[in-house]
Amino acid sequence: MIPQSAFRNPKFERECKMSNEIWVFAEQRDGKVRKVAFELLSACAEFSKKTGQEVSAILLGSGLQEAVKSLTPSVDKIYCVDDPALTSYTSDAYLMNIAPMVKEHQPSILLGGATSTGKDLFPRLAMHLQTGYTPDCTGLTVGEDGRLVAKRPLFGGKIFAEMIFSEAKPQMATVRNNTFIVNPNLSKSAKLISVSPKTDPSPPKKKIIGLEKASGARLDITEADIVVAAGRGIKGPQHFKLMEDLAEVLNASVGTTRAVVDEGWRDVKDQIGKSGKNISAKLYMAFGISGAIHHVLGIGTCKTVVAVDTDPNALIFNYADYAIVGDLFQIIPALTEELKRVLAADR
Amino acid sequence: MGFGHSKFGFVSDFDIRISDLLEAKMDIFVLVKQVPDPEAIVKVKSDTELDIENKYFTSFFDEIGVEAGLKLKEKFGGKVTVLTVDNRRVDALRRGISMGADEAIQITDPALEGSDQFTIARVLASYLKEKPCDLILAGRQAMDDDAGIVGPAVAELLGIPHVNAVVGLDVEDPKKEVKVTREVENGKEVLSCTLPALFTCQKGLNTPRIPQVMNVMKAMKAQIKKVDLAALGLSPAEVGLSSAKVKVQKYLPPPKRPPVKVIKEDFPDNVKTLVKLLKEEAKVI
Amino acid sequence: MALDFGFAEEQEFFRQTVRDAVNRLIMPRAQELDEKEEFPWDLWKEFAALGYLGLRHKEKYGGMETDTITQMIFYEELARGSCGFAMSAIMQILMGTYFIARFGNEDIKQRILVPAIKGEKIGTICFTEDQSGSDLGGTRTLATKVDGGWRINGRKQWITNGPIADFATVMATIDPKLGLKGLNFYLVERKTENRDGFVPGQRLHKLGSRCSVTGELVFDNVFVPDENFLGEEIGKGVQYAGEILNEVRVMTGMNALAIAKNAMDDAREFANNRIAFGNPISKYQLIREKFAKFWAWYEASRTYLYKCAWMIQNNIPCIHDCMLAKYHSTEMCMYAVEEAMRIYGGNAFCTEYPPQRYWRDAKFLLYGGGTHEVLCDYLGRIYLKD
Repeated sequence: MIPQSAFRNPKFERECKMSNEIWVFAEQRDGKVRKVAFELLSACAEFSKKTGQEVSAILLGSGLQEAVKSLTPSVDKIYCVDDPALTSYTSDAYLMNIAPMVKEHQPSILLGGATSTGKDLFPRLAMHLQTGYTPDCTGLTVGEDGRLVAKRPLFGGKIFAEMIFSEAKPQMATVRNNTFIVNPNLSKSAKLISVSPKTDPSPPKKKIIGLEKASGARLDITEADIVVAAGRGIKGPQHFKLMEDLAEVLNASVGTTRAVVDEGWRDVKDQIGKSGKNISAKLYMAFGISGAIHHVLGIGTCKTVVAVDTDPNALIFNYADYAIVGDLFQIIPALTEELKRVLAADR
Repeated sequence: MGFGHSKFGFVSDFDIRISDLLEAKMDIFVLVKQVPDPEAIVKVKSDTELDIENKYFTSFFDEIGVEAGLKLKEKFGGKVTVLTVDNRRVDALRRGISMGADEAIQITDPALEGSDQFTIARVLASYLKEKPCDLILAGRQAMDDDAGIVGPAVAELLGIPHVNAVVGLDVEDPKKEVKVTREVENGKEVLSCTLPALFTCQKGLNTPRIPQVMNVMKAMKAQIKKVDLAALGLSPAEVGLSSAKVKVQKYLPPPKRPPVKVIKEDFPDNVKTLVKLLKEEAKVI
Repeated sequence: MALDFGFAEEQEFFRQTVRDAVNRLIMPRAQELDEKEEFPWDLWKEFAALGYLGLRHKEKYGGMETDTITQMIFYEELARGSCGFAMSAIMQILMGTYFIARFGNEDIKQRILVPAIKGEKIGTICFTEDQSGSDLGGTRTLATKVDGGWRINGRKQWITNGPIADFATVMATIDPKLGLKGLNFYLVERKTENRDGFVPGQRLHKLGSRCSVTGELVFDNVFVPDENFLGEEIGKGVQYAGEILNEVRVMTGMNALAIAKNAMDDAREFANNRIAFGNPISKYQLIREKFAKFWAWYEASRTYLYKCAWMIQNNIPCIHDCMLAKYHSTEMCMYAVEEAMRIYGGNAFCTEYPPQRYWRDAKFLLYGGGTHEVLCDYLGRIYLKD
């Protein structure tokens, strides 16, 4: 029998008195705070102008001096838990530290990036805190009363929904990369609050025993600012060299379609589309991709889309900003050269 | 073996059965959901209503979960139960049986209408908490709400570890730790995890089997056990729209792009024009 | 309450399951199968492993004894994938094994039916000859009674699975002068070192359903033992054939539904995206009319066909209904594939685009289960008599 107390926690059901902080989970990897956290902090800086709240970052990890330094201009407060046990993310250790902090300080909003960590931590944390959470958002607005409205895609992007929260606090959301722009002009001076780490004396049920890094130094397609992708039109795994060369010039990551993954030419981690990943790049370039619906829904939130295909009737052209009807084997090398020339001229 | 103590005070039922000591049989539950077919047309009807074409199928990642459960059952023996919370449909349950699951449970009650994912998790956890269970499998997210909440939330309520986006699952001895590989940005993380645990399954873990028609016939005739709130010891006030922590304020169609600009020049001028547009007009390079 | 036009939940589940299997196994290869014009052995084995070949047969032989409506749902979904593959598979499931199961002795069932259900032995049925198709009375393949059995002489044409068949149900006459009353069914196996049998003759290259191999079977004084006579009485071949003719006609209609729906669904996507004179062509009335006409006709065909399936299942006499439904749905299909070709415009002429495959595959529907000319003559005569 689930205890009644689990359902109604009086602390969180007080009247809609806005607590005075907006929190951002400043996810870090190898001691560096991830870009999405800075995007969210910039967004919260705007929100706080409306609501008069303070913006705080919560930072967990170990050896966090650099991270703290990088965050200082962007926030009013940094709650920092520095402990070797927190070096790598595990849901148990992070939850054990974050939950008491939330309960003590009662932020009205808690945001994080829709990263593998965010999507792992936030649902469990929200269940623990008995509060509302909406994942993978592509837009946020905050009213003067501190109420959050989160916009997110459903059915793979066929429909969007504006989500609102009950009285439970904090209102939690994870947000996609590139939804907000980093404001380079924030010049706050954060107050650092060191929080002592909580540890569980019992042996951990779950521990990390290894990490297989993907080959290549490129960012994951969900994180990259620019993504170039090829579909079946590339006619074979060996031709992806063309894509790699193009990606090199643009500092982009290389994605692909389900058809290519199913053929075994590329790994599923590069797959864009419904059963793969949704990307929100600033620039997305599609070569030899017909534009099946499950793929195009995965690129819906990319800012600028370029499509190149030999078929003038290709569906992908309906979802692009710029299009060239042409042979990718001719276009890509020429594009790579032209970009090299133009970008070099800028330097 | 039951679950250990959790923050919500589920007292475990450390009922160590003799058979557990002698054999490595596994009791596996798979959380499944029936969702509109990926090809189904979904349109905004009003602010809070959707028009969904009546074509339902098992959520893609849930099938991967069922397949993972069946593979473990084939290795160690035991039982695979598929479990859903749905007032109207049981397609995913029938699919599970047609693939080879042993039992299907439908949690259904009119009061559940409008429940959010956390309530669904609570309902599932109420069912699972007294059951002998070695492993719970789920899909990494459902293909309709794309949320990925229920899995970790159920794990939290039951006080068991969870791993998301599992692409590798290595069980040598279910009584000891299992090796799990999960997908993270730019790589794969390998973890060891004790059971019972909950894993959400990602594409790449396996390829779900195509059901044999014998099992399809069996699924067509299967009796699906229904469980309501009373059987779970929950009251209507604890579920439904009133208990939801998040609600839809408004549905919107996807944002429309302005019409595409087809660059009409011949090669190689079209490439030069494209780069110019990307630099000066779109300003993305 | 009479008149319930809905499928049961389990039937919808079955449909979804078959559809998923077809989407996964057959759809990705449909175009390749058509281009190669070879029997897809690997796909056949994968498909047989799922157990669908036993759809109509008793569990004791490895089948699953489903009802007629379930079978029709299966045929409809299978034909959506590849018409050619459907032809071969349905021959195995229905016509090729029906008479073996109906009249074969236990030894024959074990030797032929059981492996057929597993897909290990391939079967077919032989009606057509050079000079006779719809006109069964024109059959010239001769069956002569001899001591301990029969001798079969003749050539059969247009035999689905012919070039690869291991066994065949052959319609032969004991005396052409008897006309329809001389016709009987015989089980004939393929000639091997140890056993007399038929020899595959010339292979036919077809316009459509190309992955289903079709050809001639030659019966050169083939000896078959008494037990291979498939029937209870001599001269009742046509009557026995009538036992499955309704199903065959409704099944043909299911093929028609599937091809037509594929053609117009693809055409819909094309029409919505093809821009001409500044608009997608789907905005133009003459294009819209094609879809409206198809839709009305398709729904009517589908309803009538499933009504026939229901009548067969409930043993309600429906010979004329099945003929009418086959005629109606096939004419609808002819319209759909023709219009799909027109909607695609010039692209229809290119083999990269799908409508030409549907157009080609659809043509054989005009002949399967009787040509429309023969059907109309017959049906008209029946109606006028009444």
